[in-house]
Amino acid sequence: MEKSSDFTLYGRIQQKDKEALEQLYDRYEKILFSFLVKMTEDPDLAEEALQEVFIKIWRGKGEYNESKGKFTSWLFTMSRNVAIDLIRKRKKPTVPLEEVGELVNNESTVEEAAEWQEQKEQIETAVQELSGEQQKMIQLFYFKGYTHEKIASICDIPLGTVKSRIRLALKKLKKSLHGVQERGAIDD
Amino acid sequence: MTKMDCEYVVDYLNGTFSEEEIREFENHLKNCADCQQIIELTGELPYLAEPIEPPAEMKTRILAKVFEEDVTEEQQLEPKPAAVPMAKRTPRRNWWTPLIAAVLLLSLLGNAYAFLQLSDQPETETAMREVNLQPSELFEGAAQVKLIREDEALDVVVSAEGLEELQGDEIYQVWLLKEGQPIPAGAFKPNPNGEGAAYFSLEENTEGWDTIAITREPQAGNELPQGDIVLSSEL
Ligand SMILES: [Zn+2]
Repeated sequence: MEKSSDFTLYGRIQQKDKEALEQLYDRYEKILFSFLVKMTEDPDLAEEALQEVFIKIWRGKGEYNESKGKFTSWLFTMSRNVAIDLIRKRKKPTVPLEEVGELVNNESTVEEAAEWQEQKEQIETAVQELSGEQQKMIQLFYFKGYTHEKIASICDIPLGTVKSRIRLALKKLKKSLHGVQERGAIDD
Repeated sequence: MTKMDCEYVVDYLNGTFSEEEIREFENHLKNCADCQQIIELTGELPYLAEPIEPPAEMKTRILAKVFEEDVTEEQQLEPKPAAVPMAKRTPRRNWWTPLIAAVLLLSLLGNAYAFLQLSDQPETETAMREVNLQPSELFEGAAQVKLIREDEALDVVVSAEGLEELQGDEIYQVWLLKEGQPIPAGAFKPNPNGEGAAYFSLEENTEGWDTIAITREPQAGNELPQGDIVLSSEL
């Protein structure tokens, strides 16, 4: 249902329906903002990125269609790329390597939406099943948007293997997540 | 070089591909469960972020900026139509006058903006076909579809009248079919006079559609028809 109505909203936005854009904004503001803050570590830059994302959606740039998979996959990937662009343009010095942060932060915040909480717990559990190196690949590639060169030097691995290691880490994570979700479904 | 290999999923995610490369990779994606799973994962990964309450005024700031940027872009676009292809699914500005009637119907559906953009535009070379849809048994309404081929795109404008009132979340959904396989092609709710219209634009895969149908769906957004066909025609 959620996916379908995203698609419907997106269709209305293509026809310049401001109300539909506002609805889509409300639906994804919090997850996108949280995600963009995690990526940029800078709430101002995150807001700039979020604005860019909705300008793109409103102008019909970076068009979504079903050959791109789920709407959220497309939306989050597009947002990630906007953030990476802004991070690379940012004047501020980059965060020192020791402080790139952990992929999973166990401090939990109050008043999280139940659905979000469940999704978060599932993916965190799945992440724990990855090797340390795989977690690092996802953190550096997905959340930090580092170049392959930078990842190769941080992880001390040959440049030529970076892409396939990222791919394998993502694949493994999806598999683990699937397992976690199956177990969750049985518990229910 | 073709982008038909799993290895390219990482580049695809990084958004560094040209449109051609994106198409090539998406062709691969259609048949590759591994890559599909990775793409699906990207709809879930952001939930690893700590939830942060967005600043209270952020929504107002962003939406103001989005709609303001839009006005400036429209003005800038006027003298250089070459920039238009970026706005792929939005109604084009150079449609010619007979369509305005159909678009007026759209504006009844809360889309006055599209109409404003469409008025007073010069005519262009366009191929158009009109087809009347046949009502199914027991259905009273009538509908007409205009298929407009312009450049590489196929635009589908459906206008209908005498429609039965809908209940609850129901919606009239337009479908294009090729050898029995449907894709959704716009949806509408009729106004109190039983009139409705839908607009849809296809940039790719514009050839070979053999049937158009309108169904009455229990809710919006279905990707395959659930409801009964109320109007249809061969194309
Ligand atoms: Zn693949």
